[in-house]
Amino acid sequence: MTATQLRTPIAARTVDAVKRYGDDATAVNALDGVTIDIPEARFTAIMGPSGSGKSTLLHCLAGLDTLTSGHASVGGIDLGTLDDRALTRLRRERIGFVFQSFNLVPTLTALENITLPARLAGTRPDPAWLDVVIATVGLGDRLDHRPSELSGGQQQRVAVARALATRPAVIFADEPTGNLDSRSGGAVLDFLRRAVTELGQTIVMVTHDPNAAGYADAATFLADGRVIDTIAQPTTQLVLERMKTLGA
Amino acid sequence: MLLLSLRNLWAHRRRLVGTVVAVVLGVAFLSGTLLLGDTLRANFDALFTQTTAGTDVVVRSATVIGDDQRQNRRPDLDATLVDTVAHVDGVADAQPYVTGSAQLLGRNGATIGGAGPPTRAANWITDPVLNPYRLVEGRAPEADDEVVVNRGAANTGGLHVGDTTTLLTPEPVTVRVVGIATFGSADGNGPSTFTGLTLHAAQQLLVPNPSRVTEIHVRGAAGTSPDQLAARIQQALPPGVETITGTQLAAESIADINSGFLGFVRGALTGFAVIALLVAALSIHNTFSIVVAQRTRESALLRALGASRRQIVVGELTETAIVGLVGAAVGWAAGVGIAIALKAMFDAFGFALPAGGLVFEPTSAIVAVLTGLAATLVAGTLPAIRSSRVAPIAALRDVAVEPAVPTRRRGVLGTVAVVVGVGLAVDGALGSRGTGFTIAGVVLTVVGAVALGPVIARPVAGAIGAPVAAWRGITGALSRQNARRNPRRTAATASALMIGVAVVAAFTVVGSSLKASATQGVDRSLTADLVIDRSGFGGRSGGSGFDPQLAKDAASAPGVEVATGFASGSVRLDGAVRGVTVVDAPAATKVVDFGVDDGSLSSMSASSLAVSDSAARARHWRVGTVVPIVYPDGTSSTLTVAAIYSHTDLVGDYTITASAWSSHATQLVDTQVFVRLAPGADAAATRAALAKLGAPYGQPRIQDRAEFAANAAAGVNTILGLVYVMLVLAIVIALMGIANTLSLSIHERRRELGLLRAVGLDRAQTRSTVRWESVIIAVFGTLGGVLLGTFIGWAFVEGAAGDAIATFALPPAQLAVFVVVGAVAGVLAGIRPARTAARLDVLQAIAAE
Repeated sequence: MTATQLRTPIAARTVDAVKRYGDDATAVNALDGVTIDIPEARFTAIMGPSGSGKSTLLHCLAGLDTLTSGHASVGGIDLGTLDDRALTRLRRERIGFVFQSFNLVPTLTALENITLPARLAGTRPDPAWLDVVIATVGLGDRLDHRPSELSGGQQQRVAVARALATRPAVIFADEPTGNLDSRSGGAVLDFLRRAVTELGQTIVMVTHDPNAAGYADAATFLADGRVIDTIAQPTTQLVLERMKTLGA
Repeated sequence: MLLLSLRNLWAHRRRLVGTVVAVVLGVAFLSGTLLLGDTLRANFDALFTQTTAGTDVVVRSATVIGDDQRQNRRPDLDATLVDTVAHVDGVADAQPYVTGSAQLLGRNGATIGGAGPPTRAANWITDPVLNPYRLVEGRAPEADDEVVVNRGAANTGGLHVGDTTTLLTPEPVTVRVVGIATFGSADGNGPSTFTGLTLHAAQQLLVPNPSRVTEIHVRGAAGTSPDQLAARIQQALPPGVETITGTQLAAESIADINSGFLGFVRGALTGFAVIALLVAALSIHNTFSIVVAQRTRESALLRALGASRRQIVVGELTETAIVGLVGAAVGWAAGVGIAIALKAMFDAFGFALPAGGLVFEPTSAIVAVLTGLAATLVAGTLPAIRSSRVAPIAALRDVAVEPAVPTRRRGVLGTVAVVVGVGLAVDGALGSRGTGFTIAGVVLTVVGAVALGPVIARPVAGAIGAPVAAWRGITGALSRQNARRNPRRTAATASALMIGVAVVAAFTVVGSSLKASATQGVDRSLTADLVIDRSGFGGRSGGSGFDPQLAKDAASAPGVEVATGFASGSVRLDGAVRGVTVVDAPAATKVVDFGVDDGSLSSMSASSLAVSDSAARARHWRVGTVVPIVYPDGTSSTLTVAAIYSHTDLVGDYTITASAWSSHATQLVDTQVFVRLAPGADAAATRAALAKLGAPYGQPRIQDRAEFAANAAAGVNTILGLVYVMLVLAIVIALMGIANTLSLSIHERRRELGLLRAVGLDRAQTRSTVRWESVIIAVFGTLGGVLLGTFIGWAFVEGAAGDAIATFALPPAQLAVFVVVGAVAGVLAGIRPARTAARLDVLQAIAAE
């Protein structure tokens, strides 16, 4: 761990996280004792070959899935102590999501999608903040369009804006550029980077794309449900080399 | 392909449950009504056959004067004919049969029966072969004050052998029960009551003249065929008297009831069954459309693998046929329960049906199952064909097979159909073009409305959802958008409900118009303060009436200015059987405003007739026209039209005087006594005095104007109650359709739901979203149904019903209640899909492809 990380407060963390699937005989540990700290106002990439447990880690950190043992917490709240209702509230108030695809509710406009979590909570997003987010997303006049009228890259940017709108403790992004061409993907990653740098947002991104990891402040590598390495200030080249040694 | 079809059905069994249930319910109602129809027919057949079982030949007058309580009414015969018939060769026994209407009072002094089914008395025929009744207790009457009572009536009235009670013939006569009888092995001839008297007493009480008999019942000697015997007796009879064999008489009665009461009941039941089946077919069509749409890729994959379009269609139809067959078979079985429930319901609403177990006719079973299968196949054909149109390439892409947005052509054609339909119906209702136009217009309007559904679904669902969105915030807004997103689906789901509700609303509007017309009629016609009558079916006036002496007693009661009895009878007037009202002309004008247009009622004599203006117009009669009449005793005479009146509400189309009627009637019975109070009289005291006077006459009911007006329309409520119960099933089927559509939609939207759950929609909000979508769809259908039904009701009242319903009256409160009930029903329909949606596993939903 580097000195800067030690000084930074923690947005989310897992301690000895184990996620086991299946019966005793055929049990598979998707997470096998993962301990990880997600620093605040940083862009963390989680990398690893498929089956490494990176998506499971994200789901458990985000309160979408439960751990078999160990702890996961967001903003100091232990997720294991929460019931479904509390988890739901935590998700809409403290957590933002960006999925690989199908991020938007097709019947709502882009702007309505952005304000959706706030409205689910029965509140209105802070208008000043909303203006900032909308300005950053750069959709301009397309805000009252339905998702079907937006390009894939635009849809993902709306999804990021939605995640930002509630000023969550953490945004979890699961392969946010997986379905995009490299140009649109670049725009989305740029946007994520700016959210961290300019707005101080904490973002955790699961990806297997070394190029995407190059936008992050740190890249954590998973294999067989364990953390095997962390690179600070990763570049595409560094990540590629590390992946080669992992045999991925 | 059959294997594939079976596999598909099994794989989608949960989705198809709703479809099968829709078929089951539709077929169950059809099969239940057919079963009930068969049962009633068989029961009535058995009843009539039993009535005449031992009688070989009946001798009766050849003239039909009218029908009275399900029996043709004919003049009576000279008693000396009994001897004539008895001496005909081959006659073993000839018994005089003297029958009439007579009502027994129970232990509590109230009448037994009389609200519909006949209350009859007759001489107790001592020849057991000729008498369908069997003594089970006590003995036959020997003295004139002794009677035998059927067991059903005895049980109802709490009468036992040895009890003394009153028989209203209609004159109150004190009688002693000496025997209890059964009709064959049943407690009675259906629900009718029977009192057996001595011949002498019957001739004294039931016919105007002791030398008369109603019929002669003949038993033939062994070895004589009834037909030969009838022919032989006929030769001995004077003109105007005829013979009929027992078998023919039974057949005649059966034919009468089939064309009358039973035909009406079967027709009405079938009508409701067709509506239920139509609603079911709409639901089935909708479900298959959605299922097919959700299987686009699968169909396309099959096409890519080389399946022909024909194979795809045959495969889909095989699935449909299996669903139809299973549903229809189960539905037939469920129909047994429906038949039992319907029968109980008819009994509860006061229709008296004969007893007897269910009768299973194979043809009815086949008709029900085949109709269900056919309806399912028809409903499934269009989706199957659409599914086959999917291009093989669609397997690789996500192509919607179900067009969500309606075509322009649909909008244009639907609008044209509605505009032309409404135009035709309005023209038919208000103009003189007639009923055909109205019906064609209404049908066209309904078809147009169903066609237009998808076109208007988006804006209308948006409008209905607007308050929901405003009130429920984001969940409401999501529901509103979901209801709008696929207008074809929303409209198809709602239209099943719309049809059901339209029928309910149409009946309600017609019913409220009937009530308003009746109330208005009473308002303008009734000038009396009190009315004494007997409650009949549905609370209206009717039953067996009471002794005219009551009117005379009432007239001299303190506080009464005028009291006069009205009777109703049936005569042959101008060659046809017609009902007449019998009044005491000068007194009647003081209690009823006839609205006389021409001539004068007070100048009416025994040879005068008063007619309504519509009857006069139809028959081209005017004051002074001479009209031939045949009275119930067979006497022919003529009457002169003395007055033409317009208020038919209380007296009908034809009115004659009591002086004309009394010398020719079989029994003198008042159906109503109208009472006008003297100025300054104490209404309550007078009413109490009249009640006391009425006690010996079986406690007739005394009503003031308001009560009378309310009861005049009470029958409407009974019929409406029946209609509502029968339509409940159609509504239930439609609601299952909504539930089914929502379940399928949720299956389709599970990724979206997963996303919503991930970003913070909690379970309660998820349920709320689905529930409100259900409510929006249900209210859409209900509103459409209420509008359509109101229009149909209006067209019927103004057009088809003609003069029968004078005023159109909208029942806004009831219609509003329907919408509220529709919304509540929407909540119910949404329960299961809402639960499914809330239970969705977020991770699986997000991962789902």
